[in-house]
Amino acid sequence: MAERVNKDIDTAAALDLDTELMVRVKEGDGASFGVLLDKHRSPVVHFLYRMVQNHAVAEELAQEVFLRVYRSRSTYEPTAKFTTWLFRIATHLALNSLRDGKNERLQERLDDNSSDMPVRQVSDLRPSVEQSLVYQAKLDEVRRAIAALPEKQRAAVLMHKYEEMEYAQIARVLNCSESAVKSLLFRAYETLRARLAHMA
Amino acid sequence: MNCPMESRERVKWLLDYRTGKLGPELEARLEEHIAACGACREFARGQRVVWEALDGWEAAPVSTDFDRRLYRRIEAQVAWWELLLRPFRPPLRAVTPRRMLAATAAACLLLTAGALLEQPAILPAPAPSDMAQVDTVQPEQVERTLDTMEMLNEFSQHVSTLRPGSKL
Repeated sequence: MAERVNKDIDTAAALDLDTELMVRVKEGDGASFGVLLDKHRSPVVHFLYRMVQNHAVAEELAQEVFLRVYRSRSTYEPTAKFTTWLFRIATHLALNSLRDGKNERLQERLDDNSSDMPVRQVSDLRPSVEQSLVYQAKLDEVRRAIAALPEKQRAAVLMHKYEEMEYAQIARVLNCSESAVKSLLFRAYETLRARLAHMA
Repeated sequence: MNCPMESRERVKWLLDYRTGKLGPELEARLEEHIAACGACREFARGQRVVWEALDGWEAAPVSTDFDRRLYRRIEAQVAWWELLLRPFRPPLRAVTPRRMLAATAAACLLLTAGALLEQPAILPAPAPSDMAQVDTVQPEQVERTLDTMEMLNEFSQHVSTLRPGSKL
């Protein structure tokens, strides 16, 4: 048993530190779970927020992601990077949420363009009303452009742009080939270039 | 450098241009190509606009009680599992194939017993109403009836001897 654990940790270390932490969680180390949560909480919530475009839903889904990670600890095998596994769960939940009809309310939320906006804390450089309106309008356009992308393209763009993932990792998350990811990204950015060209 | 637009494999260079993913050498070669190629220049310009627009999209900060809610859910779930597993915990610790077989057999026996007990009691089927009813006749009853008939016969013979005009 101990030999097996050591072997798992060696393999994990070769993969990444997160994987090693997850192997420790598997062995009952709750503190390691805390470290993983601390490190990946924001990226996961932000990814889900940009996928479903609702902060409350994104946090609820993120809770489910970490709950699944914790629940699956006993069967976890360090065969891939931890983040690949984590974002695979997150993407799966986001796609399910969108397909379950929650995306029908997306348009509604986009129309209510103040609900989920982060508050800008620049008191000394407070933008004028006009600047603020321009900012909100641009942001709204970006959100609409992302929301209009097909789900897989959307997930690929968000992982590529905000998580700075490599094509191979995105491919593993989306369970497709690397060339399929290149194709997804090419088409997605092509659409975004057309929609956002006037923002230059 | 061949034009990246000519190959889907190399077009990712244009997608990753000025993101720091390409490395300084490839970035410099690409920049040189872009300066000379109108199509790539246009592509890169459009891509820069997209990246800048996406950069402006900040996500809201995570709620401060996110971890508390998560740990509460984890605890609730662990407690639920604990409750379920508690009665089985000692046998599960030292589970062997033999014990597993015995436990399975016991469970099957219990299930069978339960299924049998659940079955309604077998009652005699009620006789259909149009069926003939046959009463059982005991031999003593037949004997008594024959005695009575014999007695009546003797009585009637005796009465006929006492008819008017006859002599006692």
